[in-house]
Amino acid sequence: MSRELTGQIAEIPGPIKAVVIKEPRTVAAMIKKAKRPLIIIGDLITKYDVEGFDSLNIVTEIAKAVDAHINVTGPLIRKFRKMGYDKVYLMSTPEIVDRLRDESWKGHDGKGKYDLVIFMGFRYYYAWLMLNGLKHYAFKWLKTLSLDSYYQPNATFTLPTMDINKWREFIKEILNIIRG
Amino acid sequence: MTRRLRFRIDEFKTDIGILKGVELQVGKIVEEWEEPEGPTPMPSITDLRKWDYKLLQRYKPMYMPFCDLCCLCTFGKCDLSRDKRGACGIDMSGQQSRIVLLACCIGVSTHLAHARDLVEWLIERYGRNAPIDLGRQVFLEAPHIRLVTGIKPRTIGDLEEALDYVETEVTRLLACTHTGQEGSNLDFESKVFHAGMLDHVAMEIADVAQTAVLGFPKADPDAPLVDIGLGTIDINKPVIMVIGHMVEPSVGIIDYLKNSGLEDSVEVCGLCCSAHELTRYSPERGKIVGPISWQLRFVRTGVPDVIVLDEQCIRTDLPLEAQKINAVVIATSAKNMQGFPDMTHEDPDKIVELLVAKKIPGVFIHESETEKIGEVAVKAAIKIAPLRARYKALPSEEEIIKMAGKCVQCGNCVRACPHNLPIKDAILEAKNGNLKKLAELYDFCIACIRCEKTCPANIPILTLIMKASEKIFKAEKFKVRAGRGPIQDTEIRTVGQPIVLGEIPGVIAFVGCANYANGGKEVMEMCEEFLKRNYIVTVSGCAAMTIGMYKNEEGKTLYELYSGTFDAGGLVNVGSCVANAHISGAAIKIASIFAKRNLRANYAEIADYVHNRVGACGIAWGAMSQKAASIASGFWRLGIPVIVGPHGSKYRRMLLGRKERKEDWYVYDAFTGEKVYVGPVPEHLFYAAETKEEAMVMAAKLCMRASDTTKGRSIKLTNYIDLHKKFFGELPNDLHLFIRREADIPITMKDEILEFLKEKGWEERREVPNPTLLEELVRKK
Repeated sequence: MSRELTGQIAEIPGPIKAVVIKEPRTVAAMIKKAKRPLIIIGDLITKYDVEGFDSLNIVTEIAKAVDAHINVTGPLIRKFRKMGYDKVYLMSTPEIVDRLRDESWKGHDGKGKYDLVIFMGFRYYYAWLMLNGLKHYAFKWLKTLSLDSYYQPNATFTLPTMDINKWREFIKEILNIIRG
Repeated sequence: MTRRLRFRIDEFKTDIGILKGVELQVGKIVEEWEEPEGPTPMPSITDLRKWDYKLLQRYKPMYMPFCDLCCLCTFGKCDLSRDKRGACGIDMSGQQSRIVLLACCIGVSTHLAHARDLVEWLIERYGRNAPIDLGRQVFLEAPHIRLVTGIKPRTIGDLEEALDYVETEVTRLLACTHTGQEGSNLDFESKVFHAGMLDHVAMEIADVAQTAVLGFPKADPDAPLVDIGLGTIDINKPVIMVIGHMVEPSVGIIDYLKNSGLEDSVEVCGLCCSAHELTRYSPERGKIVGPISWQLRFVRTGVPDVIVLDEQCIRTDLPLEAQKINAVVIATSAKNMQGFPDMTHEDPDKIVELLVAKKIPGVFIHESETEKIGEVAVKAAIKIAPLRARYKALPSEEEIIKMAGKCVQCGNCVRACPHNLPIKDAILEAKNGNLKKLAELYDFCIACIRCEKTCPANIPILTLIMKASEKIFKAEKFKVRAGRGPIQDTEIRTVGQPIVLGEIPGVIAFVGCANYANGGKEVMEMCEEFLKRNYIVTVSGCAAMTIGMYKNEEGKTLYELYSGTFDAGGLVNVGSCVANAHISGAAIKIASIFAKRNLRANYAEIADYVHNRVGACGIAWGAMSQKAASIASGFWRLGIPVIVGPHGSKYRRMLLGRKERKEDWYVYDAFTGEKVYVGPVPEHLFYAAETKEEAMVMAAKLCMRASDTTKGRSIKLTNYIDLHKKFFGELPNDLHLFIRREADIPITMKDEILEFLKEKGWEERREVPNPTLLEELVRKK
């Protein structure tokens, strides 16, 4: 039996743990199936960037392919604005999570609540807590998916902790599948 | 003020006999003062609940459970996930707020016990009637004590009554966390506010008492600049290091050195708040090594000969670390005895002999015996220093490269690090002889050594980092202004109006511990940004130290560049943790001195004033402790927002407003009684920011208040917009919520903003010069 490693040793998850997804096609199918997906991007996402892997471009392409909203939480908004996608919104993590807990909130465009929220680019513990807030207080209408390179037990779905190079290939593969 | 009437007759001879040791106590004599007593003297848990609920209606708790279980009683563990309740009936929100209350009770108890011990010691030393004299410019000596208890303390003996009150209330609060008590999360939150309010009283008691009689700077904007940094310590002398929060050991050591003519023979330095107190007591002799996170760094250098522990925030393994460098340890607080033999009543020379000969691992000498602590510390340092010369050095480069060679590349160090620093990569580089990456960790590492504890190869990772950074830390020679204590009444008179009208854009307080997510430099950078923008910047505790540990190109720290006056562009170091009460106290003083509101036992009205008019915001970027939680909650009850760093999310809940919910942002116009929409000012009460940029933009926004004049709002908006554009590259999307009239719009941005407002369908609305959340403050026609 395999054991998923948390991003921090002492972060022992509670009774409800994320489903670990190990195949890009499963993630891609989940994103494509969502009716109102929202991608929340933290400022650490660019730490993944190397030559041949531009995280902002990949996120934008995924969003475009499924008509998702992108919520940028910090100064990265400057770069996102240059990506040419008009469904990019600036809102801090606490503020967006607070609204996602509210079933009556109709999303950034006022057209209805989101059904899948994707987290990427966060400090491990910060996302751990935000996702746990959603796990307990928004579970009736919302599923969450962590696409960072480590196991995030408080999401509904998570990737396993993986080598960073493998992770980059995994994310690129998700985009390829979504684009069809 | 109340006074106990006490007669004591040691011996009295009469015709009918002799009376010996008779003591007669006649209740209390209440000594009146000019202010009428307000509605809530010594408030109980219920007395300010209505005010708390007003705040909690605006700023609803957003819980982010740090643990999904409850394991506080033997019913458990109970799974509280989602809609479940535990065996006792508590739900997740109740449990989270209960834990927050527990944390705050720990925090306030710690300051309170500190204050009690300090006051008892000072009474014994200086007498109950030692006056509370905080300098010629301070007449409102204890705003929290007056506001909360209704007491106007004149002597340090008077502080005991306030202590009695706080102790009673804290006990009641703690009782509320027992199984089968409170079940409502909002009532728990109200109690959290209560704990915070009490905490500020306790802190004020401690700092007022020590400032009054120990010769600390008294509200002095020109308090001396003192040395800070590892590089300032003269390692050729015997070195005594004090650590914790109490002043007593430092008093003993400094006095002994002075009285024995050894002042120039021994180096005395401190860490954490003990260092603040040391340098407030002796700015000439005392030096600051650095904030709390430097404690293990300093010990690993092998420099300290004697380590004097007092209380709070001290690593509990410091005695073990001291053993590794053959240093002497003296514990001085009953709260932290470390298993050492109690030699409080032993002969000092005998204690020194046992310590130096290593016949005992350390010694406990009670803090009240300051003279003995001083004598033992100094004598032990002088005796042991020559014996431990070989310990006063880090391993050689060859040795640490060899240690790095033992790395098995498991990566546990990275997963153990609270900030997931790239330790493994640095060790692997070191293995190949390149120490650069290890040195790069120095600025970011908080020296918790969780990495070492998990390392299967037992690599002393912090020691490796220290060796790689030897040149960096030896160059740590900076200046920090010694803690000045309270804010002068005259300063309040000068700035009260521009703060309330908004012409000074805000008061930003950098407070708290040194658990920085991305290095301490961020605190300095934020501080500098607000100073340049003419905010009043107040600082305390470890944050105050960090701010002084960076120089500009001309080699100057912010303390050398900015005045210590409580005025626009001033950098005001109030001092240690307990001096935080002077920051919140300044806000209370504005209500009293500038606005002439009655202070005495009038909490809700004063908090309402502060919340609606005093544009202040706290930033605790490295907040770590339970004390930080209770300090923050004291600010919340006054309606002052607090921002923490990302790890502050581990306090497991925020208090967030929803700016788009118009119904949440109405106040009464105190003149007319009309309910008026004022916009989301301030938008949040407790907020964990992810980045320093986000924190700065948010702090500028959170300084807006309902009472701002058009000129004031325009200045505040200028800063908010400018920072938003600087870091996010665009106008804030919520700008329309903060502009009431066209006159609010910063003139240099008018065209751009008018266009934005047009898109938003903005309409002018009225200002409210006298906003209040309290219906009872509406003037009766």
